[in-house]
Amino acid sequence: MNDFQNTINNTRIRLCLDCGKCTVVCPISRYDQDFNPRLLVQGALRKDDTQPVDEKVWSCISCNMCMERCNYNVQFTDFIRALRNKALNQGVEVKYSHGGTPQAIMRMMGHHEIKQNRLKWLPQDIKVLKKSETAFFVGCAPYFDILFKDIGVKTIAGVVGALRLLNKADIPFTLLPNERCCGRDLLVLGDTDGFISLARENLAEFNRKGIKRIITACPEGYYTFKVDYPRYLQNWNNIEVVHISELIAPLAQSGKITFESTGQKVTFHDPCTLGRYSRIFEQPRTMLEAIDGMELLEMPDNREKSLCCGASPWAFCGSVNKLVQKERLSQAGDTGADVLVTACPKCQIHLKCAQKNTENYNVNQIEIKDICDITSQLLSSEEVQ
Amino acid sequence: MQPTILVFACNWDGWSSMEAATSEGLSYPASVKVVRISCLSRIHMGLILNAFNFGADGVLLLGCEPGKCHYCSDSDYVINEYEKTREIMALLGIWKDRLSLVHLPAFDGQGFVNEINKLVKEIEGIPAARRSKLIGSEGIHQEPVKNG
Repeated sequence: MNDFQNTINNTRIRLCLDCGKCTVVCPISRYDQDFNPRLLVQGALRKDDTQPVDEKVWSCISCNMCMERCNYNVQFTDFIRALRNKALNQGVEVKYSHGGTPQAIMRMMGHHEIKQNRLKWLPQDIKVLKKSETAFFVGCAPYFDILFKDIGVKTIAGVVGALRLLNKADIPFTLLPNERCCGRDLLVLGDTDGFISLARENLAEFNRKGIKRIITACPEGYYTFKVDYPRYLQNWNNIEVVHISELIAPLAQSGKITFESTGQKVTFHDPCTLGRYSRIFEQPRTMLEAIDGMELLEMPDNREKSLCCGASPWAFCGSVNKLVQKERLSQAGDTGADVLVTACPKCQIHLKCAQKNTENYNVNQIEIKDICDITSQLLSSEEVQ
Repeated sequence: MQPTILVFACNWDGWSSMEAATSEGLSYPASVKVVRISCLSRIHMGLILNAFNFGADGVLLLGCEPGKCHYCSDSDYVINEYEKTREIMALLGIWKDRLSLVHLPAFDGQGFVNEINKLVKEIEGIPAARRSKLIGSEGIHQEPVKNG
């Protein structure tokens, strides 16, 4: 049995009842009538290995909305991934957005020889241990801030905020000077080999430093370490993976971390990878609600129903994706909130990009901030020594 | 062994300088490969990084002098992209001076050869530990694309 046959079995794709619920909830199908998850499955099953893969497989943004509705738990996003892998093996050229730059950076990081110089952004006042069993995984934020400088992206502010929160909570951690991208985007794009080379390098770095626990503020990293690394790496040695909100939320709720009061009205945008994939819905909200005077307003599509930021793995971003982003920003604006808070650097980038797009001039210009950035700025200074 | 250098040459003044070097009989290392493009504004970070990813030791962006762009849009795009790419290269720790942006007047053969030699010298000056070539490994993305 070949790999693709295996995928058909593992993703339970034959159980598809043709009910079309996935298509009804798919944010891409809403605007692009030619994209239809149900028909994509049907079409793919009819083809043999030599026939070209439908070009529409690149339109899927892997938001996992279809999985939320599927009665038979058909793993549609995994199936799309396998189709993309098949397309790559056939030699298809992918329409990467940003000229393929994020993918080029990821593939370069997969080289064993790379020795990065990535901690220059680190403020002096943050306490970082030289050696610890707990590592904070920064992710690609330093790269994003250079790549998306033109649209005013500051994802590193979220990372700095997360480190300040950890310092305040007295949770010791170390930083890894040569951590790589987690590789999630390559995996989602079907480049399994590229993903595995990054995963191996990361695992070697964790082992070299004796890491037993990883804290991260990046949902992509969180999910990939927690779910995909154990799946693809045979020698993954059960490193515990924690999202920053899982640590901070209980401390904020019990009053161990205190915040200054504010009159801000905020709305929370659930990133797909943190919400639907990792099932972390309440912790970020608890963090925001623990702040005195902060009003949390919910968008109509929240938690499991959250609308995606519109362009998951840096590929095939076009007018349809822009319409999804525009809709999400209007939802945020309609709540009456001053700030759209998100927990994922990629959501921040994609939504800010939509705001800067001159063709979509009537896009809601709500301020966008990372949850760790906004909460750490309100940390009360009383107990700081 | 001479370092491999990939030149992205603008179709106009950049390309003419390279042609001039050839017709004047000036010599430059055989390991220099030239890709002719319509304008340097076509170049973006993804292409430059891919060149390094596929094993180039250096990349030279060769274009027209400021204000002389054939398409009137001037060279701001490439300057912006060049600066961002250098920052990313510094983060990746692959020695940012391996990338060079050069604006030459038309038919400046000697200027082209000088710039190539300067870049070769720059690359040869990189400490051996940081000079390791990135050669594409077995990943499927490394295969040449046949029917895109």
